[in-house]
Amino acid sequence: MSKFLRSFVFVTIAFSFLLAACGTVATPAATTAPAMTQASGATAIPASTATPTPLAPGSVTLNGSGSTFQAPAESEYAFAFPLVDPAVAINYQGTGSGAGKKAIIDGTVDFAGTDAILTADETTSGKDLQMYPFLAGATVMTYNIPELDPKGPALILDGNTLVGIYNATITKWNDPAIAALNPQIASKLPAKPITVAHRSDGSGTTAIFTAALTSFSTAWTAGSGTTINWPADKAGNGVGGNGNQGVTVAVQNTPESIGYVEYAYAVSNKLPFAQMVNKAGQTVSASPDSTKAAMADFANAFTPQLTATIVNGSGAGSWPIAGYTYIIIHQTSMTDCVKASKLVEYINWILTSPVATNRAQALGYVPMPSAVQQLALAKLAQVTCNSQPVMTH
Amino acid sequence: MTTTRFQELIARNEVAHSQRRRITNAVMLTLTGLLTLLALIPLFWIVGYVIYRGGSTINLAFFTQLSRPLGMAGGGVLFSIEGTAVITILACLFAIPPGVLAAFYVARNPNTPLGVALRFGTDVLAGVPSIVMGLFIYVILVVPTKHYSAWAGGLALAILMLPTIIRTTEEMLKLVPHTLREGSLGLGAPEWKTSLSVMFPAALNGIITGFLLAIARSVGETAPLLFTALGNEQYDVGKIVQGGIQTHQSLFMIIGRIVNQPVDSLPLTLWKYAQQPYPERIDQSWGVALVLMIFVLLIEIAARLWVESRKRALQG
Repeated sequence: MSKFLRSFVFVTIAFSFLLAACGTVATPAATTAPAMTQASGATAIPASTATPTPLAPGSVTLNGSGSTFQAPAESEYAFAFPLVDPAVAINYQGTGSGAGKKAIIDGTVDFAGTDAILTADETTSGKDLQMYPFLAGATVMTYNIPELDPKGPALILDGNTLVGIYNATITKWNDPAIAALNPQIASKLPAKPITVAHRSDGSGTTAIFTAALTSFSTAWTAGSGTTINWPADKAGNGVGGNGNQGVTVAVQNTPESIGYVEYAYAVSNKLPFAQMVNKAGQTVSASPDSTKAAMADFANAFTPQLTATIVNGSGAGSWPIAGYTYIIIHQTSMTDCVKASKLVEYINWILTSPVATNRAQALGYVPMPSAVQQLALAKLAQVTCNSQPVMTH
Repeated sequence: MTTTRFQELIARNEVAHSQRRRITNAVMLTLTGLLTLLALIPLFWIVGYVIYRGGSTINLAFFTQLSRPLGMAGGGVLFSIEGTAVITILACLFAIPPGVLAAFYVARNPNTPLGVALRFGTDVLAGVPSIVMGLFIYVILVVPTKHYSAWAGGLALAILMLPTIIRTTEEMLKLVPHTLREGSLGLGAPEWKTSLSVMFPAALNGIITGFLLAIARSVGETAPLLFTALGNEQYDVGKIVQGGIQTHQSLFMIIGRIVNQPVDSLPLTLWKYAQQPYPERIDQSWGVALVLMIFVLLIEIAARLWVESRKRALQG
């Protein structure tokens, strides 16, 4: 009998837990919405009068996703920015520029990272999207040729050869076109087929790379954009990787392969990368300096949308496959003003703080020249939340 | 020493066929032994390799720190462990009450239209790939609410857990002898009281095991979380609670902030880290794999121990 009593008590307790659970199920969903509006309502007025009430540490999470090109920099920022403003946590997920653009258009993130410029359609469906360039970087051709001495001279390529390799018209490493560019190591180039690595996701790095290929040669007919119908895939020697990290791993693990990745990935993973012969006929290696030279070639190319393409520059020292990377935000339709002000604060910090620019430079990115920085800050000052300007002076 | 006729026959028979029998026996024994070993190899290989690769990265910081920037050594996966706990608790809250109630209904009324529909629906639900759940929750929850969140992830996992919970609970209720129910009803107890205090305790063993199995299944899922929980390497429950107390927020607001933002979970972190070319991240992904494996193992062991102890308690 006592056993029965015991189990009865147990079951009653268990069931009351279940019922309590059932009760609390609805509450998170139901209470967070008012809680959030309450929070923003309470601080919306102070935000404009420049005396915000102090927020608890980690109380605002800025969620972003997109470009893996800028992911190493964003992960540095996520570490450093909370030291400046403890109220903010930065959560950036490298999902690829294509996914990032979709997320900001759907409004599922607070900001998106991209290296691909918004298309006309995307600008229309995103309504009030604004792109903020904040770093430039080089896209490099990383390769895995076991026959070459890793400490010896790097492989040298030019635009036409690169187009040939990605068009699958150059299929062996000892092709005369490659050998002619590499007299020093020509004898070591193997007579083995080249495996061509490319991105499998919608990628801004792909957009930069294919813009360069299009500019190099009319033989490149697959066009440019975040996703490409790769001729090398049709020829059967292509391999896809998800994200910059995916292409890096694909090249690391595939002998006789070549792939395009952001400079920071190649440097921090100690991968060899090719030098390029640029438009001026000079052989240059990827570096912050050669990226800066490419930026200088197109210093006045910025559109009112603050976008610019900087591939195949004519300067003697210009790296031919460079690009800007951007943050996209909603310029006028944000409704959570606490978040909006922290987001503006974050972008402002990225653009102007020496801490942020130093960290990015250590990874091999190039910060914005002051002219572009001023353009971006001017746009940032126009951000509004519930029709109130967000930035305070 | 006298032997019976029967024993004599056996002895003679033994002698006559002993050679063939012994060989057959030896061959079959070796064969079954070898095949058992073969079946065990993957198990020990996986467990051993994960311990070998993951063991070296596990230290105190691994459990107590957030992630470091890409390419920097050190840091931990506290965010992921906390995220897994939050998502799993939410998934249980979403799945267990409706699951148990549905199972009671199906067990009591198996042949009513609703009962048949429920059972059919459960079977169909069990066959839906987990990534489809993620996509479904993304479309009906994440897009309208405009953000990824722990509770969206919990809901996706809850739908995955539902079929397991309903089916095991229903089976366990069916195993309870008719006479118990009839006895209770015969003594004048109402239907609800019979269900609550007779049927439920008698079936509790299996029901709890079902919960644990459902949790063990859902805790290893990555696909539904990709669309719903997104991932968050800066998630820190301790900081949220501490900050909430500092600014005198209500309990509901603090809970709201815990569940209403993107979170990571162990398999999601494993998936993200393992793709990185950075060697520190790859090592840590093995560490995450080890933690996840131990976690699931502990759940399975807990389920076994629970059943054993209940069995012993019931047998007196």
